[in-house]
Amino acid sequence: MTEWAIGTEKLSKHYRSLQAVDGLNMHVPKGAVYGFLGRNGAGKTTTIRMLMGLQRATAGAASVFGMSCMADRISIARRVGYVGEKKILFGSMTGNDLVRFNREYFPKWSDALAERYAKRMEIPMDRKFKKLSLGNRTKLCLLLAMAQGADLLILDEPTSGLDPVVTDELLRLLVEDFTNEGRTIFLSSHHLSEVERIADWVGIIDEGKLRLEARLDDIRAEYRRVVAFGRDLPAARSPQVLSTVAEDDNRTYVVTKNVEAFAAGLRNEGATVLDISPLNLGEVFLQLVRKEDVCISGNAGATRA
Amino acid sequence: MFIRVVPASGVPLYLQIESQLKHAIAAGALKVGNALLPVRKLAAELRINPNTVARAYQNLERDGIIRTIPGGGTFVAENTPGLLKSEKLRRLRPFAMQLAVEGTQLRLNQEDIVKLVKEALEELGEGK
Repeated sequence: MTEWAIGTEKLSKHYRSLQAVDGLNMHVPKGAVYGFLGRNGAGKTTTIRMLMGLQRATAGAASVFGMSCMADRISIARRVGYVGEKKILFGSMTGNDLVRFNREYFPKWSDALAERYAKRMEIPMDRKFKKLSLGNRTKLCLLLAMAQGADLLILDEPTSGLDPVVTDELLRLLVEDFTNEGRTIFLSSHHLSEVERIADWVGIIDEGKLRLEARLDDIRAEYRRVVAFGRDLPAARSPQVLSTVAEDDNRTYVVTKNVEAFAAGLRNEGATVLDISPLNLGEVFLQLVRKEDVCISGNAGATRA
Repeated sequence: MFIRVVPASGVPLYLQIESQLKHAIAAGALKVGNALLPVRKLAAELRINPNTVARAYQNLERDGIIRTIPGGGTFVAENTPGLLKSEKLRRLRPFAMQLAVEGTQLRLNQEDIVKLVKEALEELGEGK
């Protein structure tokens, strides 16, 4: 048995002129709520489709519960609750039809849960899928994934198109039903505030590469922004420096640990340290994926013990 | 429950929960023997990861502020936190330093600052 719910080794996908996913090494621990973050076009959906065996990797490998995502995709599909980017189901079927249809396929399906989710998310279950609003389609897709008794949920942008009330209810349902008994949630999003609430792990992908994989608590407790002022400051190349942004004689560093020692080092080089402050997830995200004046340095994966 | 967390603040969520519970206990809103919400229930209410709540509870229990009876819930403990006085003072010192720095910046004198602390203590006392 592997300790990972999801693992990828140098997973890559390139299309003719585009490297969509580029040597991704990602590890999602069992029992985690893992927020998979990235901008539009960063490679999130391509990665998720490869995890579900819906697209073939150009190179590298991916596994779910130790099973190969390509070879064992049928077994994986039965054990994973999956909501894809495009929330599309059979148009002429109603919610109730789809429940009956899915019940046969998943051994651990629960009608009681399906009923509970329909009620709590206010889904009209007797209306045909094609007649549903975008939000209700998304909700129905979520219901089907969540009622199948899966040990792992893989959700691609689960809250897109949901109003704030339903989003809040969904987060509550996920915490109540999927954060126990070693169940794992892997969700992609660019709504950082939601992820910041329920996730305990985050991975940040940009241009197909994993820029960061860390425990959210470690980010909050140890990551600091250091603003320094001085001539000829280094674009520090040490593993504890996640990014450096240069602006005239100012440098903004994101340091992942031992911030006091790092600041002392800068002072030794004649710099004035103007500010040391904690960062929230949104700020870490921006520091990592922003384009202008940035040189990413150090080893982004260095936070894993 | 009265607890609110601000995910985007950069302060770890478990610390936010700890400090709010400490405040509620110090102010008498939660009294000795009062039950706290179970971990999973508070997590669901706040829409946050249960591990985060569990960590806050563990830290408070380690400090003797709350106690958990296996299978029986979590309660506000007797008012005998098992910490040495020197340890208590050590923990409080950074707050005192911050107060001193901010106060000095604002050109307040020692008397004013000490008076503020006294007033804050009195305010807490009224809630008991």
